[in-house]
Amino acid sequence: MLSAAQLWQPFHEFVFMRRALLGGLVLACSTAPLGVFLILRRMSLIGDAVAHGILPGAALGFWFAGLSLPALTFGGLGAGLSMAGLAAWITRRTGLREDASLAAIYPISLASGVLILGIAGKRLDLLHLLFGSALAVDGPTLNGMLWVSGFSLIAMALIYKPLLLDTLDPLFLQTVSRLGPLAHGLFLTLVVLNLVIGFQAIGALMVVGLMMLPAAASRFWSRRLPVLIAIAAMLGSLSVWLGLLLSFFHSVPSGPAIVLVAGGFYLLSVVFGPVHGLLRRPPLFTSQ
Amino acid sequence: MIRCQALRWGAPGQPLTPPVDFELSTGSLTAVIGANGSGKSSLLKVIAGLQKPLTGKIFHDVPHKGSLSFLPQQQHLDRQFPISLRELVAAGFWGSKQSPNLRNQRLKTALEDWCLCGLEHRPLMALSGGELQRALLARMSLAQTPLLLLDEPHAALDELGQALLWKHIHAWHAKGRTLVVVCHDLAAVRQHIPHALLIKSSGCVLGPSTELIRQQPQTQVA
Repeated sequence: MLSAAQLWQPFHEFVFMRRALLGGLVLACSTAPLGVFLILRRMSLIGDAVAHGILPGAALGFWFAGLSLPALTFGGLGAGLSMAGLAAWITRRTGLREDASLAAIYPISLASGVLILGIAGKRLDLLHLLFGSALAVDGPTLNGMLWVSGFSLIAMALIYKPLLLDTLDPLFLQTVSRLGPLAHGLFLTLVVLNLVIGFQAIGALMVVGLMMLPAAASRFWSRRLPVLIAIAAMLGSLSVWLGLLLSFFHSVPSGPAIVLVAGGFYLLSVVFGPVHGLLRRPPLFTSQ
Repeated sequence: MIRCQALRWGAPGQPLTPPVDFELSTGSLTAVIGANGSGKSSLLKVIAGLQKPLTGKIFHDVPHKGSLSFLPQQQHLDRQFPISLRELVAAGFWGSKQSPNLRNQRLKTALEDWCLCGLEHRPLMALSGGELQRALLARMSLAQTPLLLLDEPHAALDELGQALLWKHIHAWHAKGRTLVVVCHDLAAVRQHIPHALLIKSSGCVLGPSTELIRQQPQTQVA
């Protein structure tokens, strides 16, 4: 069992642990509202699709520019946005259901990413791209994470109200304002942005876990949207901290450690959560 | 005032009626009636600007956004959404420039008007269909728009709720606001709404509701 001092000591001692912790915490806070809204909008799958979509873009960036942060970021951003856009366009033009359209796009992205990496040579580890290593967060990456998290928190605060109404009652918002499509577009951009900056730290697939697991878990703890977001951010931050400690003391890969801790919180919430958890009878209503 | 010129609406390539022209004057109270699938709800959406007409044009004297309220049928709401009744109703203040004090006062009055006191903090999940419908109507009353479009407002309401609804519809009408109401309950239309727009596959007829409904005894069944 860890002693109280050990909960902090690795971060005090090693700068790479401090960077990983700080980066992970801000990422957990900025992905929390995104994950909660993705679930409310019934778009939970889009995180997976975009995370896979990032891969070919990052691989192309690596091919042309080597292991550089801007190349990987812009490659991933472009590919992620175009995958999300392509899926949405196919849905709108043909009426194919959104989940089917996303499910069709992401194997294509994943396969082309793996293919490009194969052609580009073996210098970039596919495992690193997919599962990342929080312990390899360097100064520029950390800066990028701070900027992206700060920007997306501010942007989410600005579009909170139109996004909420666009999610709950799009017809109502359409009759009173033109902000609906704008809020939706900005929201999707933020999702892609967070996934792209996160994939370099904890990996493309793992950052989806950090986005969706705390959001899904929070649903078992409250029926109020701001509380849901706060709980998701808290669970995400706790997962990052405990996951990094786990990874440090037991020499396991950090990305999966973080996501598995978040997965543990999710399963605990399913069982013990007061709102429709397995062990609680659903209360008829909560006052206040 | 709403003026439709050579208007056709419906699914692409499948217009519901031949091109129709009609005009609803400012301050009028009109029911839209017709059989299931005749296109009443979609006509309302076309008027609200939520759906494009296939051909023809619609002119409003209230062109800009935020000057019309639309009450859709309530099935489209996600009842699991983590929001309380009070927050749902308060969304009616969108774009309003009133002071927070005045808003609080008006919100309180609206909740009282629609018999929603004591339910403010309930999540949507814990509301009955009628309570949710009254909440949506309360949200609509906060917006104070000159044009109101209601799609089956009496659905899910019990007798008391319906009485409340008609009372408010008459009050809105008396204030000079323009109302268009899609309604299945022909007896209620005859009793409460002076004009009706009957939609048939052969076209639209606009006239006094007592006459239109007497002429169409077979629609009583629908």
